Amino acid sequence: MHIADGILSAPVLAAGFGGTAILAAVTLRKMGHEEIPKVSVMSAVFFVVNLIHIPIGPTSIHFIMNGLVGVILGKRAFSAIMLGVILQAFLFGFGGVTVIGVNCVMLGGGALIAYFIWQLRHRFPLGDRVEMIFGALAGAAGIFVSGVILALALFLTGEEFLATAEYALAAHVPALIIEAIVVGACASFLKKTKPDLLSGQVQKGILKTS
Amino acid sequence: MSLEIDRFSHVESSIQRWDPRIKILSLGFFIFVAALLKTIPVAVVSLLIAIIIIKITNIPFHFVANSIKWVIIFLAPFFLILPFSYPGEAAFHFIGLPFAWEGFRLAIVIFTKALAIVLATDAIFGSSRFDISMIAMQRLKCPRVIVQMVLFTYRYIFVFIDEVKRMEKAMRSKGFVMKANMNTLRTMGNFVGTLLIRSFERTERVYSAMLSKGYQGDLHTLVTFEAQGKDFVKAGLIILLTIAVLVTDMIRIFHPATQGWY
Amino acid sequence: MSDRNAIVVDDVYFTYPDGREVLKGISCAIAHGERVALVGPNGAGKSTFMSHLNGVLMPSQGRVIIDGVEITKDNLTQIRRKVGIVFQDPDDQLFCPTVFDDVAFGPLNLGLSRDEIHLRVRDALEMVGLLGFEGRPSFHLSFGERKRLALATVLSYQPEILVFDEPSTNMDPLSRRRMIEWLKSSDKTIILCTHDLDIALEVCYRCIVLTDGQIVADGPASDILYDRKLLEANRLELPLALQTHELLHGMLNIANMDEEHRTIIQDFLHAHLHIHGPDQHQHVHLHAHEHEHDHLHEEILQDTHVHDLKHDKPPSGHTDVPVPHSHEKDKEKDKESGLGGRLKIRHKLFGGGGGHSHDGGFHTH
Repeated sequence: MHIADGILSAPVLAAGFGGTAILAAVTLRKMGHEEIPKVSVMSAVFFVVNLIHIPIGPTSIHFIMNGLVGVILGKRAFSAIMLGVILQAFLFGFGGVTVIGVNCVMLGGGALIAYFIWQLRHRFPLGDRVEMIFGALAGAAGIFVSGVILALALFLTGEEFLATAEYALAAHVPALIIEAIVVGACASFLKKTKPDLLSGQVQKGILKTS
Repeated sequence: MSLEIDRFSHVESSIQRWDPRIKILSLGFFIFVAALLKTIPVAVVSLLIAIIIIKITNIPFHFVANSIKWVIIFLAPFFLILPFSYPGEAAFHFIGLPFAWEGFRLAIVIFTKALAIVLATDAIFGSSRFDISMIAMQRLKCPRVIVQMVLFTYRYIFVFIDEVKRMEKAMRSKGFVMKANMNTLRTMGNFVGTLLIRSFERTERVYSAMLSKGYQGDLHTLVTFEAQGKDFVKAGLIILLTIAVLVTDMIRIFHPATQGWY
Repeated sequence: MSDRNAIVVDDVYFTYPDGREVLKGISCAIAHGERVALVGPNGAGKSTFMSHLNGVLMPSQGRVIIDGVEITKDNLTQIRRKVGIVFQDPDDQLFCPTVFDDVAFGPLNLGLSRDEIHLRVRDALEMVGLLGFEGRPSFHLSFGERKRLALATVLSYQPEILVFDEPSTNMDPLSRRRMIEWLKSSDKTIILCTHDLDIALEVCYRCIVLTDGQIVADGPASDILYDRKLLEANRLELPLALQTHELLHGMLNIANMDEEHRTIIQDFLHAHLHIHGPDQHQHVHLHAHEHEHDHLHEEILQDTHVHDLKHDKPPSGHTDVPVPHSHEKDKEKDKESGLGGRLKIRHKLFGGGGGHSHDGGFHTH
């Protein structure tokens, strides 16, 4: 989930921008220009998927799918999510301009952790279900890490936000379950229909020949 | 959903005529100061300033209402949580829960600031064509790669929204109804997977189209900016106002809603 | 015209990294100013072949030579200035914020001067009839407009060779007609990769059939596109215009048809033949119906601002001009396919005098 403007303290905002700068610099290293349109287009998918809402009882929650972006783009996922967060803040105040840094670390960090978990799948002989299980774990990890970073940002801002941080964590539980199922289903679907997307080939790409 | 933030960029006003680089810097300064305010009266003043700026741009209210909607959705829970969880003594008990005015005040400050910020953001990006705003950011030393990628992403958002709508229509026509159950979620997994495959294939084609037109990693542009005296006068006005707001907030004429440091 | 060929493809093989072998020894030469249709079923390798023409893909084996220069990794910039590819889906080609930026993208990458870029953008937009759209976001345009804009983005860097992937897909009839007229009026070397054999028939002198990564036929469009057996063997079918033609020839074989109807059909077939094929305005036969068709064309021409079509000639030194179709040969074919048996219905459709719109009313099977 995103955090909005006006809540966090200056040091937390600054730490968010600093963390984003460092993570962006590290994850964008050695990026060839053939990756620019690819990361951008994947980022647009992330953005659009964020607009899809799933109804739950009287309310609804929207997809985040940072775990899925991690699964597909690997370390480049951070920049894809950063682009999405920037556009969300600029275009319709989703999140906010001053919290771009914190939201990037939160969602992008989740994506990176999701990718590390996803890469562990090779070590487990789970047969046909490995993509589904690790997709679900990656999807859950993406949300879990985001939730923890969000709670941390609130907690570091002031003790009056302690309860808010707890509620925020609790609010991530339904999102975590939903994303785990959807990312798991998506990973096993991609395994059947377009396995290249899951094998880290996206960065290399067919067009490497040119 | 009105994602075309720059739909009213052609409207005539002194904000639209403002050099985008200087506009981003001055209003950006205002936004970051607003984010740090702690007292209710000053926060309200900053909201008034933001409302006046948005009024000057002649961007209609219904257009900014969409951004305001998100602020309300994000921040409504704070009104429910903060007053009842604020550490310290409760003013009274509401259905058995301790209610603290400090918590309520904090929620009001947060909400007011967030509104001011979102309106100022709309004033920045709503008053210039989005690509020009981005090129202005690049001139302000934002990394070229990021600016270039933001522009590509912005372009393809609209393509994918259309794609999602088409796919959704196809699913509806087959009797699919979105509910919170396993079936829906699995279907959504396939839906997102299909979208990913299509967009991945598109990235290959877009890249080859770019290569075909001589792309070598740089996005060239003919846009040039020229700042005039008037641009700096507007900037000076905004910056002075912002500093006045910040100082009034810091000298504690009013009671701050939170004790935390800036 | 230089004596070198515009394009020489020399025994090209291509295998994708995932192991699919898509091109299996392709060789052909295309002269300057030629208009060639590249046809073939889905998955034949048309798109892959196309991507070789400007070095977006490099052959696994073999050579591609553009205007006497073999494509290598080092001369890609130079090659891409010469070969412009217009993609099937305009959204793949329009990736900039505004119409101006999209059209200026190529010239900007060439490092041209500011004035030159403005001039080229203007010219290119004028050619496709989109002048005045410069400041609009590309995604606001209709599909037909985007398709023409995609063409303008390629024209603006003035390539000598134009390669089109499915130029007419998803276009409404008027846009399609404009595209056809534009193609016919162009003096560039043009390669059309398409399933739309009617557009191939109208625009191109030469046709190459690609199936399963190999060239199975290469010759005058007038031979290949009239060859039902060859086309059907390659999962293609006769151009619609020619199917009509074939049907009508079938009717002429009906014994009990009265002379008046027979004359009408023969007249129609004559006129019909002449409006297809790129050399339509060069026929010496003047026919009552032909005037009407010319009139039709004139209207379209005014619409598309292409005025010099009347003087459209096949490139000099080129010999692949279609010969008028042999009626005798067709009669033979139609007897075999037994099309004459459906005369009654067709006869009525035709009897309404609908022959002026050339394939109207005959799509019902």
